[in-house]
Amino acid sequence: MNLDQLGYHEQNLIWTGLTVLFIIVTSTIVGLIASFILRMAGASEQEQRRAFWGFSFAGPWIVGFLIFVLGPAIASFYYSFTDYKVGQPLKWIDIENYRTLLLGEGAHGRRFKQALFNSFYYTIIGVPLQIMASLGMALMLNREGFGIRWFRTVYYLPVILAGSPAALLAWRYMLNPNGGFINEALKRFAEAFFVFDYLYRGFIYIFEGFNGFYIGITRGNPVGPLKYTLPAVIAVLVLLALLGEWTRGKRSLATRSAELLSIAVAYNMMSIGLVSTRVDLSWTYFFGLLLLALVIANGAQGKRLLVKVWQIGGLSMVALSAFMTLRRADYALDNPDAQKYLIALLLVAAPIVVSFFGVWDRRKLQMMGGLAVILVLIILIRVIPGQLDGDGLRPIGSYLTFGTTIKDAKDVDYLEDIHPYEYLSVHWVYGLVILSLMGIALLNNYPRQRHYLLGGSLAFFGLLALGSFLDGQAYFNAFDDIAKAAGRPNYHFALFHQVTDVFPDKDRVPLWMNNELWSKPSLVLITMWSSGAGMLIFLAALKGVPRSLYEAAEVDGANTLQKFFKITLPMISPAMFYNVVIGMIAALQTFESVYILRTTQNEDSLASAAYFLFVRTFRQLSIGQGAAASWILTVIIVTLTILQFRYSQWVNYEV
Amino acid sequence: MATLPKTLSKTPSFSFPTTKQWVNIIIKGLFYGALIGGALFFLFPLAWMIGTSLKTIQEVQQAQLNLFPSKAQWENYDKIFHEAEFYRAYVNSVFIVTMVLLGTVTSVSLVAYAFSRLQWRGRNIVFALMMGTLMLPYQATLVPQYVLFFELGWLRTFNPVTLPGFFAGGASLVFLLRQFMMTLPKELDEAAMIDGANPLQIWWFITMPLSRPAIATVSVFLFVGQWNNLLQPLIYLQRSELFTMPIYVAQKNNLQESPIPWQDIMAASVLFVIPVLVVFLLTQRFFTESITLTGSKG
Repeated sequence: MNLDQLGYHEQNLIWTGLTVLFIIVTSTIVGLIASFILRMAGASEQEQRRAFWGFSFAGPWIVGFLIFVLGPAIASFYYSFTDYKVGQPLKWIDIENYRTLLLGEGAHGRRFKQALFNSFYYTIIGVPLQIMASLGMALMLNREGFGIRWFRTVYYLPVILAGSPAALLAWRYMLNPNGGFINEALKRFAEAFFVFDYLYRGFIYIFEGFNGFYIGITRGNPVGPLKYTLPAVIAVLVLLALLGEWTRGKRSLATRSAELLSIAVAYNMMSIGLVSTRVDLSWTYFFGLLLLALVIANGAQGKRLLVKVWQIGGLSMVALSAFMTLRRADYALDNPDAQKYLIALLLVAAPIVVSFFGVWDRRKLQMMGGLAVILVLIILIRVIPGQLDGDGLRPIGSYLTFGTTIKDAKDVDYLEDIHPYEYLSVHWVYGLVILSLMGIALLNNYPRQRHYLLGGSLAFFGLLALGSFLDGQAYFNAFDDIAKAAGRPNYHFALFHQVTDVFPDKDRVPLWMNNELWSKPSLVLITMWSSGAGMLIFLAALKGVPRSLYEAAEVDGANTLQKFFKITLPMISPAMFYNVVIGMIAALQTFESVYILRTTQNEDSLASAAYFLFVRTFRQLSIGQGAAASWILTVIIVTLTILQFRYSQWVNYEV
Repeated sequence: MATLPKTLSKTPSFSFPTTKQWVNIIIKGLFYGALIGGALFFLFPLAWMIGTSLKTIQEVQQAQLNLFPSKAQWENYDKIFHEAEFYRAYVNSVFIVTMVLLGTVTSVSLVAYAFSRLQWRGRNIVFALMMGTLMLPYQATLVPQYVLFFELGWLRTFNPVTLPGFFAGGASLVFLLRQFMMTLPKELDEAAMIDGANPLQIWWFITMPLSRPAIATVSVFLFVGQWNNLLQPLIYLQRSELFTMPIYVAQKNNLQESPIPWQDIMAASVLFVIPVLVVFLLTQRFFTESITLTGSKG
């Protein structure tokens, strides 16, 4: 029988039959293997029979997992190191794909970077808005009354339509800037009353300003001194929260912020360090110091599991780095450059290995602290002179001048020259933040020293924040002159200046999908349309809040706001957690809406990471790079999910 | 108005509402006003879709606020009904959804049965593994799956879209069904076991009939998801004879026509949305029930 003579549907039916047969046979085999293994292990007859049935029933999933998840996952990991086009032989190109994507090199790297920033926009801006909307809807509909059931149905309705091209196209038509319904309605609204007009134009002004700002900082141009402002401001905020009476909560705030920052910094450093051809030796020591500090901080608090995580994770990172170093040197141990790095890695690994032995008592803590001091001394002796001389710490010092260093374009060139590893130098500041927070947490039993450290750090980071901000201003002004002189567009905040310099005219309209300032918010708006999914989960949770709690609070004289923040919010925190996790994963995977709503003008400003992956793989058929992009996205999603589970102590599971 | 006599009979003499009652009435009015405003926001795109599909191409190009045209242009639908591609896409979509529904519901219920009604060594590990796959974004496996189907020679066939469903695709569906099956009484299985029934018979004759509400929920979710599914068909079908409704609608949009024939696009969209809408309105209680099944403890 020749399959090709049949229609597509008939062919599919035949393959379906074969697949069902395949599943039955393989599931039975899975069951047989399971019971055979149990027989070898000497389990009873009944247990073997149970295992046979259990594994056979779960067989379809197990077989499917192997074929469609595990196998492909391994394969795609392999592809990500190759230059692979379907139908052509594989070509091993090492970490080239990762280098392109992570360092943002070339046209594709730059587009990936922008796609990642777009995805973050959907996550950071879109998810909170969506959750607020769905919580508000749930609160409104959590009652009995006339027509409430009907409203629930209507509010949920968009969820079943949201993913479909039909609804997205309807939105696109409504958002048409010239004569689309929404702009026409807004125009009428603005014309109705002059105050509305100012509100409307004010809205456009703020909106474009914000998005212009976001686009400006994500363009990937060097941001100069301003990059030190962010860590400094974070430090000041956390340190301010630590002021006042010392409690356990404050201590854990210090350790947790230090930990989160360390994870972010370590990820960034490792990802750049591993794919970059050469990074300064000091980063290796710095990484080691960070790792050791984390091990000590967790060990001092008796968190044994976390200590293990950092020990094993850190050592495997060191092993990976050693491997990469060796590979770069073609596995020749006598290469002096490689030796330098290997020795550094050994010095980093040694204290971690030592920390495996013995229990975490006072003596061990003192010993580990001593090792940390030795590491610091090594850094001071070996690294700092080079840093001061060259690329690392010097810019920090030169930025603490409150805007007096940078006067004109010449200074910008000078600053660009003295720190070629600019993208890494900001990590020194993050490192200082982490170390001071960790120090404060470790000085738990020494209030005087803790106070000194807290005050000193606060003063230092406050000055740094102010200084770098003022210098950043000067830097931008100087840069603007350069850009103007050279006729280069879009430097830094050019877009921001452009949209905020003049207040919108009377006939200005939101440009929605046709403009990079509006395309991402448009997509967020459309996602908010389907907030009903989260609403349903909040509704179920609200039903579970016992009435007696509210009654007791009313007796105590609590007002509506107090009841909401002290009872409702804690009681529905599991639903909140669920919605945050699910919403974040969905936002990072945004694809359909981008695919339907993109046009040639807005493609770059709308493209999400998943869309980039789709285009690279299935349109441009560069499977290797698509696989690398998918793994980067996977690592981001899995890391964020794990972090959310780790920091979910605010979730109250006792009902 | 029907409630009026009742209230009158309750209050023997009519009196004006007190200040407090007035405040309550105003609050209630504001509340319902907000509710209706929300409902308008949620329903409007749908109404706009229908309204546009009945307009002429001249009307569609103008700046406009009116939802419905002065004269309904049913010809827009007529035009689509005369397109061979439309019927082909509809048949293909129905075919794919049917196959996926059949395969997924059967396999998912088998797996959920194993995780809820059977006691076996390794159950918890396999279950944890399955829940772990929820975290893995589908993008990670998309590429090699494509290569796999390419190697099998299945590109430009329905197989890559329908067959994966037969392997209990979708851990969240298994979880939902398992949660429901856990609530069924154990004694039923034990009684059947004593009568000499094997697990396969128990699954088919006892668990499946009792799980009907949960299976209906899973089917509805699957139906909606699959009917709207764009990505997999887009990647694998690649040939116009195989295109599904989402691709058909999306393609109408990509035509490089000027002016854009929005009325045609919206008419196609309306026809595309109708099955989902009907299914949703008939089964909306299953959606709310599914949440109470899985519980809110995320």
